[in-house]
Amino acid sequence: MSRRIIHLALFPEDALDQAAEALETLRGMGITDRDMTVISGTPFSEKMLGRPMSWTRIPIIGISGALVGFLTALFLNFGTPLLYPIRVGGMAYQTLPTSFVVFFELTMLGLLISTFLGVFVEMISPSFGPQGYDPRITDGHIGVLFWAPPELDPRLHESLTGLGAEIIHGAEAKKLWLF
Amino acid sequence: MAEQQETRERWGMVIDLDLCTGCNACVTACAMENNIPWVGEEEAGYGRNMFWIRVQRTWQGEYPEVSPAYQPVMCQQCGRAPCEPVCPVFATVHSEEEQINLQVYNRCIGTRYCANNCPYTARSFNWYDYTYQIPAPMNYYLNPSVTVRRRGVMEKCTFCVQRIHAGQEQARAAGRALQDGEVMPACAQACPADAIIFGDLSDPESRVSKAARSQRGTTLLEELGTQPKVTYLKGGGYYGG
Amino acid sequence: MAVEAQPVSPALNQPAREEETLREQLMFDPRPREELNRMVMESMHSTSPRYWIAVGVLAALVLVCLLGMWGYMIFTGMGIAGIRKPIYWGVFIVTFVFWIGISHAGTFVSAILRVFKAEFRRPFTRAAELMTTFGLAAGALYPLIHLGRVWVFYWMIPYPNARWLWPNFRSPLVWDFLAITTYLLSSTIYLYLPLLPDLAMARDRTQGWRHAIYKTLALGWRGTEAEWFRLRKAINIFAFAIIPVMFSVHTIVSWDFAVSQVGGWNSTIFGPYFIIGAILSGVSAVITILVVLRATLKHMDYFIRPEHLDALGKLVLVFSMAWAYFFFNDYLVSWYGGYEVTRKILTLHATGPTAWVWYCMLLFNVVIPWLTLWNRKIRRTPWAMFIITVFINVGMYFERYTIIPMTLGHQRFPFDWGEYSPRLPEISIAFGTLCLFILLYLLASRLIPLVPVWEVREGQEAHKVVRVGKTVVPSVSELE
Repeated sequence: MSRRIIHLALFPEDALDQAAEALETLRGMGITDRDMTVISGTPFSEKMLGRPMSWTRIPIIGISGALVGFLTALFLNFGTPLLYPIRVGGMAYQTLPTSFVVFFELTMLGLLISTFLGVFVEMISPSFGPQGYDPRITDGHIGVLFWAPPELDPRLHESLTGLGAEIIHGAEAKKLWLF
Repeated sequence: MAEQQETRERWGMVIDLDLCTGCNACVTACAMENNIPWVGEEEAGYGRNMFWIRVQRTWQGEYPEVSPAYQPVMCQQCGRAPCEPVCPVFATVHSEEEQINLQVYNRCIGTRYCANNCPYTARSFNWYDYTYQIPAPMNYYLNPSVTVRRRGVMEKCTFCVQRIHAGQEQARAAGRALQDGEVMPACAQACPADAIIFGDLSDPESRVSKAARSQRGTTLLEELGTQPKVTYLKGGGYYGG
Repeated sequence: MAVEAQPVSPALNQPAREEETLREQLMFDPRPREELNRMVMESMHSTSPRYWIAVGVLAALVLVCLLGMWGYMIFTGMGIAGIRKPIYWGVFIVTFVFWIGISHAGTFVSAILRVFKAEFRRPFTRAAELMTTFGLAAGALYPLIHLGRVWVFYWMIPYPNARWLWPNFRSPLVWDFLAITTYLLSSTIYLYLPLLPDLAMARDRTQGWRHAIYKTLALGWRGTEAEWFRLRKAINIFAFAIIPVMFSVHTIVSWDFAVSQVGGWNSTIFGPYFIIGAILSGVSAVITILVVLRATLKHMDYFIRPEHLDALGKLVLVFSMAWAYFFFNDYLVSWYGGYEVTRKILTLHATGPTAWVWYCMLLFNVVIPWLTLWNRKIRRTPWAMFIITVFINVGMYFERYTIIPMTLGHQRFPFDWGEYSPRLPEISIAFGTLCLFILLYLLASRLIPLVPVWEVREGQEAHKVVRVGKTVVPSVSELE
């Protein structure tokens, strides 16, 4: 990866069609989808750009968090009265109607916190596409990051500039977070 | 955890309203026995008095044939107490041994939900550190058998549980069962008309059980289903004279 | 024989004029992304001396009125407040319910409107979510403030301890604790997630300590497809999940009252009644805050326009009617049934010494909105909406005051009846939490971009003007 040069082709945000064209052109030159990444300041769905759908584990992390919450609620509501039974109000030690509240709240808490943790972990985990960034992305540009062998350089430059892109050769990966 | 005793009592009370004169001796005796603080005239006027038992006085009749009706009300030690399930920290629980409602001072965090939920307004809250402010040597009047409460905790009538336990210990030390009438809470002891009867409701032959079965007996706010342990006897106007 | 209808108006200029009117709407008035970013960053960074004076004054008020008075109350005792036998809950609990109600604003705007794809929500979701977080921060203080022994509040938290004791999960106060914790954490996260792209934007446009903060919080956001995909997934999960949480929180707060046997409180309608009241209170507070933001922050008048106040005003009218419906339901059923205690309480509400509270509640919650909010012009006038919504929130405060102290004072034994009058410490602490809310909001407006620019931009991309026949109509594409 250190030997492969990352190129960044910047398109203005409303030039969505040109960006999609550019991706087609790159694919025609033999650059695979795995070697390309699209970064943008506004969300564009993968279908609009003709890209393969991304994957995420967030839903399953969320569901497992909900399960953890459920089990915690099970322990707190039905387990603790067994650990230390205290009679109040003539009620049974373990009451079902009141348990719904505890179960609901803790399950939702588990779901929501684990969803967030999933986002957090997936964001800070290293990604395997081309690393690269330009602050102009958040100012309304679509960036196409790709690795290309050096012999394709002149062809790339010609076709992408023809589509209206501004090309940055050798865009370096910036340290955008703590690591 | 505490040992379970072999005998279990179900302490209850009967108050004969036909005998009650409204003299407030029960209120005074309870205050002395249970270290109930005096809050002062101004605070009492604002509804901050701490009495565990109060004599409710209602006026009946039209002028000039007005007559008062007196009703001493204290914690009814409900079988299905509404104050118990709402406490977030289990500071008010049902005692399995004595079948009364317990208030655990050192667990109470002072949410006052129990007081709101008590339909008999039987509970008091320590708004200030009243007892801590008693200057020495005045504090020597305090009863050492009863905890002194600090600010922020709820309190209420306990059927003089300290006397119940003292009686039980005496009986156990003497190697016999607890006799009926041996344990008297302060209010019952002080009442000059002997209007307050206290004893074990689980013993059908005790004086209190017989009185509770009287035809004149009702419980307060029966429709709420709280199963109170205090029965009020009132016959005047309904039964006989 | 078919007759072709001819347009009556001079058709030549019509499309242009209609496009003019459409341009009044934010979604049809697109500007370059750079400019939007610049506007939002400028509104964050331009602080006048007036701002710092306000922050200073509010901080001093919070210190004295809230923290100072609370500290004094902890050391002296609850007796300095106005609560008494039999009214053991007063202004503290009223204000608690009030703040939890206000906190429903953010979730309603951000989650419910998102789920229903109401496009007008786009510019103010973050302002509303901030309201939720700070409203909860203010409200969550009250379960601590009203405790007699606040230094042992942690006994309500389930943790293994040497006493082997656990909290009582049958108590509504423990449900309160669970619900508010869940809601506070979820709404903070729900504030944070859509904030990520804007934090990245702020990171790219600042230097120094600001840059360091934004860089840490932005989690290295680049805007890759995977990142957007995950963010969308998480936001969708949150939007759908936080709505039932929102409903449950205020229902659980209402159950503090409804599960008791207090006459006038144990009504089964309290759950929905409180929720509708909370949404009414919250959406009104959103309008209040939006008017203030428009007036005080630079460039906010680009983002927040009369159309937004108009749409929110319609919602307020609908919820005011719903509130009146639930109120009357509770009233009629209590009045009709023969239970003397509740009937006396209803009479007392209307004729007792503090009856003015009840009348003001009805005036502010029902009469004022119903007389004014049907009118489009009024709904689009910021200062009018400010006044109306402040009245509504005062009315909702009075509603909780009616429900809590006024009802507790007149229960089943007339011998024990009492009147409640709030004392200075309670008013001071309530005022202190209001100052805290405003202070937190002021501070947040310097650090957090108040407008979710990526969502506004996304909306502007999706809105197009389409020619249908002889006229032009707005059209929204579903880009998600």
